[in-house]
Amino acid sequence: MISDFGYILLFIISGLVLLGVMLLVAKFLRPDNPNEEKLSTYESGEDPMGNAQIQFNIRFYIVALIFVLFEVELLFLFPWAVVFGNEELIAQTNGAWGWFAMAEMTVFIGILILGLAYAWAKGYLDWVRPKQQIPEIKSPVPADMYKQVNDRYGSK
Amino acid sequence: MSASLLILIPLLPLIGFLINGIGFKTIPKGAVGIIGTLAVVASFVISVMTFNDFVASGSQPLVVPLFEWITVGDLRIPFSFQIDQLSLLMLMIITGVGSLIHIYSIGYMHHDEGFGKFFAYLNLFLFFMLLLVLGSNYVIMFIGWEGVGLCSYLLIGFWNKNTNYNNTARKAFIMNRVGDLGFLLGIFTIIATFGSVEYTEVFAQASSFSLEDPVIVTICLFLFIGAMGKSAQIPLYTWLPDAMAGPTPVSALIHAATMVTAGIYMVIRSNVLYSLAPSALEIVGIIGGLTAIFAASIGLLQNDIKKVLAYSTVSQLGYMFMGLGAMAYSASMFHVITHAFFKALLFLGAGSVIHAMSDEQDIRNMGGLRKKLPITFITFLIATIAIAGIPPFAGFFSKDEILAHVFEHNKLLWVIGVIGSLMTSFYMFRLLFLTFFGNFRGTHEQEHHLHESPASMTIPLVILAVLSAVGGFIGVPEALHGSHHLAEFMSPLYDAARQANPAGFEPTTLSHSEEYLLMGVSVAVALISAVVAYVMYVQKASVPAPDSAEKSGLQRLVYNKYYVDELYDNVFVKSTKTLSNILYSFGEFFIDLFVNAAVRLTSFSAKMLRKTQTGSTGDYVFAMVLGIVAILFWKLLL
Amino acid sequence: MYPIVLLSFFGIVTLFLGFSKSKNILLPATLLFLIIALAGNFLEWNKGPLLYFYDMLRVDNVTLAFNGIILLSAFMIFAISGGFQDNPDSEPAEYFGLMLFSLVGALMMVGFQHLIMLFIGVEILSVAMYVLTGSNKRNLRSNEAALKYFLMGAFATGFMLFGITLLYGATGSFKLEQIQGFASNMQVGSESYILYAGLLLLLIGMLFKVSAAPFHFWTPDVYEGAPTIFTTFMSTVVKTAGFAALFRLLSGSFTGVYGFWWIVIAAIAVLTLLVGNIGATSQNSFKRMLAYSGISHAGYLLIALTALSKPSQNAIIFYSLAYSLSTICAFGVLMLVSKEKTIGGQPNEYYDAFNGLAKQNPLLAFVLTVSMLSLAGIPLTAGFWGKFFIFTSAAERGIIWITVIAVLMSTVGIYYYFRVIISSYLKEGDLVKIRVAPFYKVILVLATFLTILFGLAPGIFEGLI
Repeated sequence: MISDFGYILLFIISGLVLLGVMLLVAKFLRPDNPNEEKLSTYESGEDPMGNAQIQFNIRFYIVALIFVLFEVELLFLFPWAVVFGNEELIAQTNGAWGWFAMAEMTVFIGILILGLAYAWAKGYLDWVRPKQQIPEIKSPVPADMYKQVNDRYGSK
Repeated sequence: MSASLLILIPLLPLIGFLINGIGFKTIPKGAVGIIGTLAVVASFVISVMTFNDFVASGSQPLVVPLFEWITVGDLRIPFSFQIDQLSLLMLMIITGVGSLIHIYSIGYMHHDEGFGKFFAYLNLFLFFMLLLVLGSNYVIMFIGWEGVGLCSYLLIGFWNKNTNYNNTARKAFIMNRVGDLGFLLGIFTIIATFGSVEYTEVFAQASSFSLEDPVIVTICLFLFIGAMGKSAQIPLYTWLPDAMAGPTPVSALIHAATMVTAGIYMVIRSNVLYSLAPSALEIVGIIGGLTAIFAASIGLLQNDIKKVLAYSTVSQLGYMFMGLGAMAYSASMFHVITHAFFKALLFLGAGSVIHAMSDEQDIRNMGGLRKKLPITFITFLIATIAIAGIPPFAGFFSKDEILAHVFEHNKLLWVIGVIGSLMTSFYMFRLLFLTFFGNFRGTHEQEHHLHESPASMTIPLVILAVLSAVGGFIGVPEALHGSHHLAEFMSPLYDAARQANPAGFEPTTLSHSEEYLLMGVSVAVALISAVVAYVMYVQKASVPAPDSAEKSGLQRLVYNKYYVDELYDNVFVKSTKTLSNILYSFGEFFIDLFVNAAVRLTSFSAKMLRKTQTGSTGDYVFAMVLGIVAILFWKLLL
Repeated sequence: MYPIVLLSFFGIVTLFLGFSKSKNILLPATLLFLIIALAGNFLEWNKGPLLYFYDMLRVDNVTLAFNGIILLSAFMIFAISGGFQDNPDSEPAEYFGLMLFSLVGALMMVGFQHLIMLFIGVEILSVAMYVLTGSNKRNLRSNEAALKYFLMGAFATGFMLFGITLLYGATGSFKLEQIQGFASNMQVGSESYILYAGLLLLLIGMLFKVSAAPFHFWTPDVYEGAPTIFTTFMSTVVKTAGFAALFRLLSGSFTGVYGFWWIVIAAIAVLTLLVGNIGATSQNSFKRMLAYSGISHAGYLLIALTALSKPSQNAIIFYSLAYSLSTICAFGVLMLVSKEKTIGGQPNEYYDAFNGLAKQNPLLAFVLTVSMLSLAGIPLTAGFWGKFFIFTSAAERGIIWITVIAVLMSTVGIYYYFRVIISSYLKEGDLVKIRVAPFYKVILVLATFLTILFGLAPGIFEGLI
């Protein structure tokens, strides 16, 4: 009789073996005529240029973070839904179980929504955040003087 | 009796100290004196209330825990106060006499620049002194003990612009440290023997020891070394006469009435231990007797008014220890009380004289002051009679009681005591006559200035004079058909000691006629010396020769205090200095070698270590991995 | 339990408070939150051991004492932060919010009864700290420190998680009691090796968090790079929580295999003491010296762990408090002084910044001196008793040799702690006016007062527990 860990070991071994076998079989079956074009990295048809380790725009990370947040939420919702729908428990507690589970999930999602709201209010959801730069020039000549000059000579 | 009220007794002077100590530059002079004095008077009032409560509630001793203080292994040292007959008596003396001296100081120190500082120190001193007597274990007593030593140091060197005064302050401090070492060793031995420092626990355990157990004798001797330092007994007495460099109220409060009696307090407090060690008590008695006569003989030829009183104090403390040696604990306490009254009075009177004489202290330059300073004269006279032991003034009863016990215990010591009392009477009357009788011998300017002191100074004098006159009636001996209130009151303190050593507490075997005889002898001796002094200094009007005059060998010896200071200087100070010089030149080399090697090693390894801190995360992670691998390898595979 | 719930809620509230126009409301509000949390903490005092969240969290007096120290330190740190008013680039609401969240993590670490709770606590605390370390966005060193901290922290977390996994594999449970039950009755066999490996890996992860050698490398760089206020937070709150967690872990689950692990902790303690103390001697920057000093104090606390007894538990509590108070004072003074004296626009955090401090501001010099004395373990300060309790608890266990090393190392400590005292009292410096806000002063004086109070009467504190 093998223990639970034994099964895991078996899985690991069989996984490795399978991978090895497939690569080996492919090695023997495929034709092998390499050229430069074929050996280059596949980049959606683009020509790969320069180093792959370049700086990405920081906004990618923020969006990714928010995405991960809600993905985790979704992952969490599935097991929750299974327990939530447990008829036995609902019957045993005379329906209170359902409300309890519902309230808990509301709190959970509520907190996440607060987080989303915070990010939104901070403006992290806007991809482009143009900051209007109003140039200020300190000039000894007052601004309305220019206007007068423009008025006088602009019409001509 | 509420605990919070009890805490106030030491706390009020501490608060006074903090206010005056922090704000002495800004608080006006008038307020400083009032704050300082109020703190002490209030604490006196609370002490009286506590005393009444104590008597009213059946005189049950009680320990008031304040907080857990130190807990180390099995040793538990709580911070708590003990209220019993002994601590209450001490409380009354300290706060009572303390209040009077504070009032006096308002007048005496009025012209001094350091007025605020003075009151701050005085309050701090009272705080520590109260801690000393209130504490319920030896460690708290030790804190108080060290604290009063510190304050004594600060106040002796109060006029710190004078190098000599600073040196005497240092001398007092160092001498006391020698004693403190003994005290500390005593405490350690107590901890090692009993595993506790709480009085109640120590004494309860001590009762089961046999008489003359070597451990108990050792403890007693160690503690007595401490008492020697603080209470100025041979061989550690030389600091007290020098301590007169401080302001006179300080001499009265610290070096006459309270601090120097701490040693007696300690012995009485440890009476269970001492009663178990008669051989230690024998030493206490002998040292006390020797000190009594030795100091008195020096006092005979001193010409500085405060020095005479200082030697007198040393001598009187000797009497108290002599009494303790004869297991007359109550009698010694009695003498502590009466001595506090009349010696404080003498010092304050001397202060009043010095004040009037524009800081002149040499009695050869005084004389005839009784007309100019009538109140000072009368109070001083009362105090002199009291200390000389002439009935019915306070000193008679207490001294006589000690002498009676000593007589029973050891006849030789009694003879010494009587001779001492003869000398006491002589030098005190000599002092009185030279100061207040005859013609004025000072400068013209001084004579012009002579004036009676202000009321703030004379009122304490009068109160103390009344106490010196009638204070003895709290302990009238049975032979005089009185009842000894004090002895009755203190009797429960010795219950444990009585059980441990019943022989020491047997009632007196002296018949009344024998007691009358003893009293007669001491009174006669005192009166004879007084008459001799009168003849010498009033009728013949002789004045001690100036320092420049030639003296006979014996006179010179006594006048120079038997050259004890010089002896100490040669034997201890010089040899210590030589030794330290040798150690300095030789030891320094080896110590430096060791120290430098340690420094080199440390800085070398620090340099090595610095190199590991490369700043690169990769290196750090690599080092971590090495560590992890090492640990796993060590613990799992080896 | 209350402070965890309260602080989570308050953290969110603080974030949204950041939208309000007035920035001045933030600091009073967060201080109020902390006071409420402290009050909530002590509501459960003496209520006996209580279990919450499906037995994942345990509340007893030890937990509450640690919580109290953490919240008190946090209160002081928040107060001396001054609401980050002086830096226009700062985001006070986010900083405070993150610190409140990290406190939640710290409290979880203190009270955990379940390894998952421990892991969550550690992560909540650490992630917030990674961000706060790099909060000074325009400072390259701050950024570098944050990245280093994050990378190495993630690395250590991996080990920790692996350790937990192995422990689960060996014992079939995450609960401390069940692991304890298993470890006490374990036969030597393959499972015992899994348990040992799991324990070691988990310990390694935790030792990283408390910066014990040889996992300390991040500490000097991160402490130096992070803004001083967050360094203070890291070296007090994080360290206290880390040791509380370690103590709970070892005393709650592994007393049965004490013989196995104590020598590991002892060896690491000695190494940590050596690295911390010797490393500190060669520093010229006060802040970096304090980082090394933090490492050495971790060494002392590890000694208490090797003893693992009731007295050593009290010793850890007392030591954490003493250390936190002094560290807050030291960093507090450093912040004030370095702000006034700058080199090239950056705060001067070297020793020479303190030259002549006693003349410029006697109060600050005094506060600094007391805190240094306490850190060095000079009597009449709380630090002395902290060390004393730790040494006695180790000596009672019969581990004398480690105490000898620790005492030797603490003499080395005197060298570098006294350097700054010498600078401030004996060296001449330019007379710069150092402004101290009244509230700041109150906090520093309070911490100094407590240091001296516990130094004079350590029994007061012991009476409380």
